[in-house]
Formats: sequence, structure tokens, C-alpha cells
Amino acid sequence: MTDSFQNIAVISFPDISKIEFKTIEKQYLNVILINTAFIFLIVFAILFFIDYKNYLELNESIFWLYAILSIALLFVVFIKLIGFKKRKYAVREKDISYKKGVFFRSLTTVPFNRIQHVEIDQGPISRYFNLVSLSVFTAGDSSDDLKISGLLKEDAQQIKEYISNQIDE
Amino acid sequence: MSNSERFSQFRKQSKKGILVIYLNILYKALKAFWILLFLFIQKFSKISETTLLYIYLGIGLLLVFFLVRAFLIFQNFQFKIENKHFILKRGIIKKTNTSIPFDRIQNINFKQNIIQQLINVHEVNIETAGSSKAEISIKALSFKEASALKNAITIFDKKNVDQKTETSEKPLLKVGFLALLKVSLTENHLQSLLLLFALLIGFFQQISELFDGLGKRDVLDDYITENTSTLETSVILIVGLLMLLTFVAVLSSVVRVYLRHFNLTVFIKNNALEIYQGLTTKKSVILKKGKVQHITISHNPIKKKLGISFITFKQAISGKVKKKQDKIIKIVGCKSAQIATIKDVLFTNENLEGLDKNFSDIYFRIRLYIRSIFILLVLNVGLYVGFENTHVFWANILLIPIFIFAIEISFRKRYYLFSHELLLMGSGTIETHKTYLPFFKVQNVKLKQTMFQARKNVADVVFQTASGKIKIPCMQLEKAQQIYNYTLFKVETSKKSWM
Repeated sequence: MTDSFQNIAVISFPDISKIEFKTIEKQYLNVILINTAFIFLIVFAILFFIDYKNYLELNESIFWLYAILSIALLFVVFIKLIGFKKRKYAVREKDISYKKGVFFRSLTTVPFNRIQHVEIDQGPISRYFNLVSLSVFTAGDSSDDLKISGLLKEDAQQIKEYISNQIDE
Repeated sequence: MSNSERFSQFRKQSKKGILVIYLNILYKALKAFWILLFLFIQKFSKISETTLLYIYLGIGLLLVFFLVRAFLIFQNFQFKIENKHFILKRGIIKKTNTSIPFDRIQNINFKQNIIQQLINVHEVNIETAGSSKAEISIKALSFKEASALKNAITIFDKKNVDQKTETSEKPLLKVGFLALLKVSLTENHLQSLLLLFALLIGFFQQISELFDGLGKRDVLDDYITENTSTLETSVILIVGLLMLLTFVAVLSSVVRVYLRHFNLTVFIKNNALEIYQGLTTKKSVILKKGKVQHITISHNPIKKKLGISFITFKQAISGKVKKKQDKIIKIVGCKSAQIATIKDVLFTNENLEGLDKNFSDIYFRIRLYIRSIFILLVLNVGLYVGFENTHVFWANILLIPIFIFAIEISFRKRYYLFSHELLLMGSGTIETHKTYLPFFKVQNVKLKQTMFQARKNVADVVFQTASGKIKIPCMQLEKAQQIYNYTLFKVETSKKSWM
């Protein structure tokens, strides 16, 4: 158990940085944008309502609020656009990985033999594009496990079946 | 009568159980309505005799109702063992039938609170790895019955067949009265104080709500402001208060440690640790080797001088268990020889001696400094807004060196090293923690990078285990990827059960 063990032996293990990650379905960008638009629409509506009824007596400053909100919208859309390209996943023989993030990058790998169960779910907008989310859960505090959104329903089902087979072995 | 026969028919708890259940109900009721009682005592003289009669009558009826309820709970609480399943019927109106297969049972623990100690019965808790609904608590069994039940359940578990054969009578660790005093005096008193405050704030809120409801809020507020305004002017009072706080802090540490760890005894029995401790509530826990996910060994400078440490064991928690705290088991006052034995039981043949420590990248120090600057800024603004006086900025003369000291120390204490199977991570500021995690217990791994970290080519590695996260901050990316790959390799090739 010398230091050389750590350096020589580790390199020969399957390397996560060498595998090819797949991007998620392009269609999912629409889902993200529609969701974002929806949220901003609500905020704009609330702001407009306040302005119209003049509840808070904002008068002049309301213009700035609109401006800030518009900039925020542009910024969020911009982030979502570059962030979208960073969402990638990979299924290997014994584990599943997902990476995401622009400012805060993260890469998560869950080995199949630690997965408790797999879930596929679908939001209303995703349904229109025939897309689903695949979540895997491990034991313990499972809030922070892996969730891949924007998969084709058929693909997700295939992955789920593959994982289930692996778990049963 | 053999153990399995003894439990083959549905049976109830010991009759003393009625008393335990009754007092338990009373205790809960009292906890919920103590304010009403307080009001009642306060207004006692003003209440007319007829009303008083009604109140007594009401309380009497309530007490009888509770007694009936306790009796019914007792009558309907029945359990048996059948076909390697523990079967439990309970519920007065809503009947519940629970059946737990033996191999799903994680732990069987005995517990005794003050009442149970007085009437000499044991509470038996059956822990399962599944949902919290399946956690079963049998309130009252005699010690003979309790051990018989435990044996009946564990005897089928093949791994536990040799339960009785190698019983070492001599405890590995026994912390006596004086040793416990040493432990309690060297506790983190600041933490004790904070815990006490949290408790007091809870009480205070309840009381102020009460005054609020009576429209006497102003009285209480006046009382407080009156007293605080004099505090601010008088230095002597502040010094006095500080001394009082120190005293209270030390005292609360002592009380806390004695309540929790009184008569701490640890045995090692075939690859499991048996831990007995507690003053008012005696607890006995059996920690099986396989169930422990990771352990942390900690000490502070004074404890180090005395050569004692405490060990925290973390067991797997199931998805939505609220009482996380229950699965964390702490033992105190361990000497280095005992720590070595415990490590040897849990991680057999793993020797980390002589391996070089890998320290965090220099970026970690930069990150700590940047974060501290933010905290200092917020603190300064907060102080200024609070006191509206520029003199408060002098506090920085004291604060900045403390921050720098803390950062330098915690940077130096952060390291990791690993052997084939075991990862060791060091951390801490004043206290020193060493966390041991066997690789195969990891549930998933994460590699995290902020944009700045990416530019400096460093990353955080987060190991998710069934009992929480362990994070190694700011490793060089190459090393991070190596340990990431190695962990995955270890987990994926491991045939051992992680729980």
C-alpha cells in the first residue's frame, strides 16, 4: 500500500472523463423555454396588475421594475440556452451518469447495484413533445440523487428496463 | 419452553405496560397543554368554587378516559412470531396488522426511561431499514421476555447463530463517573450554550404567545427593554453576564453529557458493538458491523491532552425518517487503544498508518478567505444597522484575526488519504475530526465545480452514503477524477452488502 499503488493502479480503471456523453433531446429546449416563459408571464402579470391598480404607489419606479425584469428574462434565457448544451448523460455497463451546469458544473454517477428504484414521470408540457424524466433513487437521504429530464419516452423505458435487469441480478 | 414456542401465539406485553402507556399519554397531554395548567395555577384564587368543581370534574374525566384508552391500547397490542416473520396487531378502532420478515429487521434495541426503570420493564424497539412506519416499539416487557424475543428473532438469522458462544464478559470501554466529568468539562461549551438557548427560545415563544393572547404583550416587552437598557450601560453587568453565561454553558454541558452517557459501557460481541448508556433513559444499542456506514473520530485540543476522543457512528437512514438523530450513535471518552480496537472490528485489516496525507488545493484557502470576507461584510453591516454607531467597526480588530486563524487552521486540518478499501478524511477548526468511509458503502458520487474552480482546474468530490454526504473540497481535477473512478470501480465490483 504505497503511494505508487494510488497512481499506477487508479489510471487503469474505467475512466469517467473518457466516455462519450449523449446530449438530451433537442425538443426539451422548447419545454424549458415554455416553462421559463410561463413563470415570467406570471410575474409580469402580477407587476402589471400592481401597476394598473396602483397598489404600492410605485409611479415612476415601475418602469425600472419592468426594465429589471426584462433584463432578468434575457439573462435567464441566455443561461438556459448555454446550460442546455451542458446537460448530458451516459449509461455504462454498471452505472449511469449525468452532468449539467454552466456556473456550477456537476457530474453525478450512480452505480446500478446501489439503485433502490427507478421512476419515469412526465409533465404536461413534456407530454406534448413525448418527453419524460428519468429519476433514480438510492438509499438514505435520496433528495440528491440523479434525474435526467428530456428523454424520449422509448429511450427512458429502455434505460429503466436495463437498470431493473441489472438490479435483479 | 423454547423461544419460538413462547411467541407462537398472539400475546400481549407485560401488564405493567398499561402503566407505561398511561403515563406516556399523560406526558404527551401535559406537554401539549402545560400552558393551560400554568394559567390555571396562576388564576387559581380568582376562579369561583363552582367553576373549580367543573374543572376538577373535567380533569378527572380526562384522566379516566386516558386510563381506558391506555387499557385498550394495551389490550389491542398483540404480537407473535410465525414463519420467520414478526407479526403485530394494534389499534383500537383502526386496526393495523404489520408483518416484518426477520431479514428486514435491522436492529433490536432495549430502552428504559425513568418509569420503566422504576417498575423494571424494558422497551423493545425493532428497527427496520424500510419505511418509518415499520418501526415498532413494544413498551413494556420484562428483561427475560425481552431477551427471549430478541433471541427468537435473531436465532433465525444465520449470521447470528453463534450469538451465545463467544461472549466476552469484559467490556471494551467503561466510562465511570469521574471520567465522564473529564469528558463533560472538555465539551464544546459554546455548542451546549446554543442548544440551551434554542430550548429556552422555544419556551419563551410559548410564553410570549400566551401573554400575547392575554393582551399583556406590552408588559413583557417593557420588562425586557427595561432590563436590556441598563445592561448596555453597565460594563460590570456585562462582565457578570459573561461569567454567568460561561457557568451556564459549562453546567449545561455537564448535565447533557451525564444524561446521555451516564454509565457508558461498550462490549464487543462477534463483530458487533453493544453500547449501554444513559441516566434517566437507559439505552442499549447493538451496532452491527455491516450497518455502520461511516464513523467520525473527534477530539479538541484539551481532550487531546487528556488522550480522550469521541466517536460518532452513522447508520443508514431510510428515505423519510424524521428522527435522523436516532440513527446517530455517539460514544465518549475513548482512549486510543479502544479506538484502535473499534476500528479493527469495523474495518478489519485496514491500515492507514504511514500513508501520505493529501491536502486540499491552495484554491480551498482562497475560497475560505472569499467566503469569510462576505461574512465579515454582512456582520459589519448588521452591527452598524443594529447599533447605529461607527465605533462598532472597531470590532473588526478582534474579528479579522479570529477569522484568519480559523481559516488557516481549517485549511491545514483538511486532508484525505485512502487505502484499498477505506477513505479517511480529516477536517475541523478547533475540534479535529477524522471520518472513515469504506468505499463500497458509497451510494453515488458527484464531481462539482464552480466556474472559478474550473478555471483553476480543481473540483469538489461528494460521496453520498446511506447516512449522509461526505465532501472533499477542492482537489486537483486529475486527482478528483482518479478517486471518482476508483470509488465507482470499488462500488461496482463489491459483492458485500452495504447494509
